[in-house]
Amino acid sequence: MTIVDAGAADGAAVAADSAENSLRLGRVRAAMDAAGLDALLAFAPLWRRENVRYFTDAPVAGTASFTLLTAAVSDGAAPGGVSAFSTRRSDLDAIARRGWTTDVHLISAHSPTALTTRLAEARPGRLGVAHYELLPQVLMNQISRALPKAEIVSATRLMDDVRLVKSEWEIGRMREVAVAVAAGWQAFVGALEPGLPEYAIVAAVEAAIKGLGAEDNFMLIASGGDEVRGMTAPTPRLLERGDMVRTELTPQLNGYWLQICRSATIGKASDAQRRSFDLFNEAVEAGLAAVRPGVTADEVARAQNDVFRARGFGEYCTSQYTRVRGHGHGLHVDETPIIEGNETELPENAVFIIHPNTYTPIAGYHVLGDPVRVTPNGAEILISTERKLFEGAI
Amino acid sequence: MKRGLVQLDPAEIPEREWHDRVGSLQRDLATSGVDVALIYGDVSRSDDIAYLTNLCVYWNEGILAVPAAGAPVFLTKLSARVHPWMRLISTVAEIRSGRGFGELAGKFLGDSGAGTVGLIDADLWPASVAGEIRDALPGWQMRPLDGLVRAHRQSPSESELTLLRRGAGLLDQVAAQAAADGLTPAERIALAERELRGHGFLDVLASVTRTADGVATIQVTGQYRYLWLHVSRVADGQRTAWPAWAGELRAAIGAAAAAATPGATGADLQDTVRPLLASLPPGASVSVRWVHLADMATNGEYASYPADLPLAPRSAVVVSVEVRFADGRYATAAETVLVGEHGPAWLTGGAR
Repeated sequence: MTIVDAGAADGAAVAADSAENSLRLGRVRAAMDAAGLDALLAFAPLWRRENVRYFTDAPVAGTASFTLLTAAVSDGAAPGGVSAFSTRRSDLDAIARRGWTTDVHLISAHSPTALTTRLAEARPGRLGVAHYELLPQVLMNQISRALPKAEIVSATRLMDDVRLVKSEWEIGRMREVAVAVAAGWQAFVGALEPGLPEYAIVAAVEAAIKGLGAEDNFMLIASGGDEVRGMTAPTPRLLERGDMVRTELTPQLNGYWLQICRSATIGKASDAQRRSFDLFNEAVEAGLAAVRPGVTADEVARAQNDVFRARGFGEYCTSQYTRVRGHGHGLHVDETPIIEGNETELPENAVFIIHPNTYTPIAGYHVLGDPVRVTPNGAEILISTERKLFEGAI
Repeated sequence: MKRGLVQLDPAEIPEREWHDRVGSLQRDLATSGVDVALIYGDVSRSDDIAYLTNLCVYWNEGILAVPAAGAPVFLTKLSARVHPWMRLISTVAEIRSGRGFGELAGKFLGDSGAGTVGLIDADLWPASVAGEIRDALPGWQMRPLDGLVRAHRQSPSESELTLLRRGAGLLDQVAAQAAADGLTPAERIALAERELRGHGFLDVLASVTRTADGVATIQVTGQYRYLWLHVSRVADGQRTAWPAWAGELRAAIGAAAAAATPGATGADLQDTVRPLLASLPPGASVSVRWVHLADMATNGEYASYPADLPLAPRSAVVVSVEVRFADGRYATAAETVLVGEHGPAWLTGGAR
């Protein structure tokens, strides 16, 4: 996580964003109404901050942070009905200066008095907690004690559904990430040379994207030949001529994640590596062609897998060799899974990556994919990096 | 996500030390009548698991099961396809993947007779995961075991000290470069990322803050192998136009770190520092704190640090001085220090 505190937020920008803030609160309140929730508490542990970000548009860094939204705005409630809480003092300033809520409070994990007091004042009969499944016992106990008569339920799915469709404001943010994606991939290919350890490639990428203001990055990598079965965090393995180096590279900028999947060879690509690319590119194209408003995740996955099945590689679409055929993007890096059997509908302005990444015996694990937006006319690719088999260290 | 180097090197931490760490926990379990300890970790905090096995929960969640007798087993929702890598970088031989922890724990322990499960740091477990485990193991007793592994992590071993010194040397050097005159905030952060990850750091968390009067501080938390280190420095230190408090802040962190002796408390450090910050503007406040490196994954925010908690000898800590201004902005200085029997030893900032 990287936060650059560059100064006070611009007042005009805050005003311009107020429509987005209102849109979000309206969406969430409608979902709360449908779910019969009187209040929604979004919990953000260190690694799942998307919902608190959704309500604050601020880069929080605390070990535990929350936002509380009540269904009805009552007298004396926070503006917009949102209150924010964090275990890190610097978050309070970051949230307040962003301006989506100015009702911010410091809490301790062992005694979150400001939070429990506000909950007790709100007296919800039914409280939804986003990331209920990750809420530590110490915090759960105190929330339960503050609301002895309340029904406390998970609102994780509710918030996932709310975030599925992106606004134009959000799409604009995601387009900005594409610049970091392009720079990250360029740094990746530029770093490739025989003798370089995998972790040094990551260092080069991180420097490039952080230099553009990226806050974080999700990145898996693997190098080697056709023995490579998957990707992990980087190893000390030294690159060799003839290797294929694969990556999922996912910068986060202004809260939003955007992923690129590409593979590059060290030196000229072999015939097998090219055949592998052709197969995976055909699968990506099939996935892209399937995109339309209301398409299901199953249909997008099936379109990709059918290419492998038609070429006699169907077994490599199973969980023995791969995970998903893509996944949603937004304020979290890994949202709706694009996988056969997932009947989730992907409406207009849903954003996800199509990546048929898997192992085949042709050239080992291959990684290729583009993030797309669902439009009335099909898929709009959100990055500009060419989809080809790159050759490094030529 | 953890995306730096993870490696298991017996030249750094000998096989015997890994064995002894697990053995020590197992003796504690046997003494307490606990049949198996379960240690929860996620990508953001899994240092107990790393301390016992060198496993890196690079994403998602995992549970390390340590029986009172026998080898630890790692239970994870990550795919079995990453097992070969996990075995390569850890001392764990058996890894089990599944859709949920209840199912995994049930399969792991369900066939043995009911006994007692110890949940290490039970308060910090996700309540629903603890509930899943409880439901999957009917007849078993659940016992919280607070701080059982963390206590061992607070005093680094000789092997760990060697790694800490190596990592601290790198961090010190990079922080000095990143705090140099004339760089933009993004350039400072990019430099820290490139140099630290390029030298094998597992994780780098760098940020730059700036006060209304233009004083920037760069904060870098780094993880070398599984060990945390931290520095915060005033940037552009050669400028002469800084407000007086910026120079005082640099003197204050030196004094605070020098006062980090066995038995000293946070309140003592605060008393040492306060007179040195005489030029703060109205409305500014000063906070001096120390945090065990063992708690740096969460910046100490899941631990309890009362003002009268004394520093223990041989503990490795981050000492920080934070100045917060009336407008909510802040500047901070911090160093990593080993609390020696006869006084503090700088791990970072020794060249000051």
